[in-house]
Amino acid sequence: MPEFAAWVESTPISRALFGMSWLWPACESLHFIGLCMLIGGAGLLDLRLMGMFRGLPIRHIRAMMPWAIGGFFINAATGTLFLIMQPHLYLSSAVWWSKVAFIGVAAANALFFETRLALPALTMEPDADTPTAMKVVGACSLFSWFAVLYCGRMLPYLGTGN
Amino acid sequence: MAIFRSLQDGAFTEWFLGSESIWTYPTVLTLHTVGMAILVGASFVIHLRILQVAGAIPLRRLLPLYRFIWIGFAINLLSGLILFATEAADRIADPVFYVKMVSIAAALWLGGVVKRRVIVRPSAPEATTLASRSMAAASLALWATAIVAGRLMAYLKTTR
Repeated sequence: MPEFAAWVESTPISRALFGMSWLWPACESLHFIGLCMLIGGAGLLDLRLMGMFRGLPIRHIRAMMPWAIGGFFINAATGTLFLIMQPHLYLSSAVWWSKVAFIGVAAANALFFETRLALPALTMEPDADTPTAMKVVGACSLFSWFAVLYCGRMLPYLGTGN
Repeated sequence: MAIFRSLQDGAFTEWFLGSESIWTYPTVLTLHTVGMAILVGASFVIHLRILQVAGAIPLRRLLPLYRFIWIGFAINLLSGLILFATEAADRIADPVFYVKMVSIAAALWLGGVVKRRVIVRPSAPEATTLASRSMAAASLALWATAIVAGRLMAYLKTTR
């Protein structure tokens, strides 16, 4: 992995991107904006699945999901740029791999919801309480996304050996 | 100005930034990000709905989201005051800091106006007016400005 990181860093594209001094802060800003879109949209659905916001029909909240998914893709794109610019910072970090793992958990959880629970959820009465399975899925999603945020923000400080 | 210098160079700052513990600067910084996610995330949801580009959630049902705006704001006011204290002399002379503060104040104020006009009105019409939509769009733009300004501030300081 260190060899791979060194190779990526030696490529002209990595050098050119990292050479643009404005690109890193610009990507950071977009990464934060994408984070707000993702947590805002997905968080509302998660809380409703957990039984809060009764009276809010789940099918209406689901119409918000393109914004949350858009936020995710903004962050995947800017995150990929960080990775190309400074691969050793991330590939050698257990905290970064934990972040990737939590993204995997959140994605698997969302896929499980879409394939197994979305249909009954969409036809639920606006005021109805949610079954336990939906509460668990909502809590798992909310926890995973905040864990992703935590790992990302703490990456420079956790497990640096000091 | 001397008070800001003494805050930035004081014993608290030395302990807070010099500590090897993850529970001082890193945790407060992360709390500031968590608060942002809650505050701006809730604000995004409300204002995108008012702009009529995010489905048809009944507007009045968005009311409980304002609780999250205030929870996020409280977290960020507290964590922000701590972070400010440790960089007080730098920040008080930093135009970008004022851009961030003015953006936040304006975004909250516009958000309040939109809430009174669109969300809490007992007979709230489901279709929002052009004026309300303009204010919602401005509020979104102001939050984005505050985030960009906040990020840039990290590049404009003399403490670590």
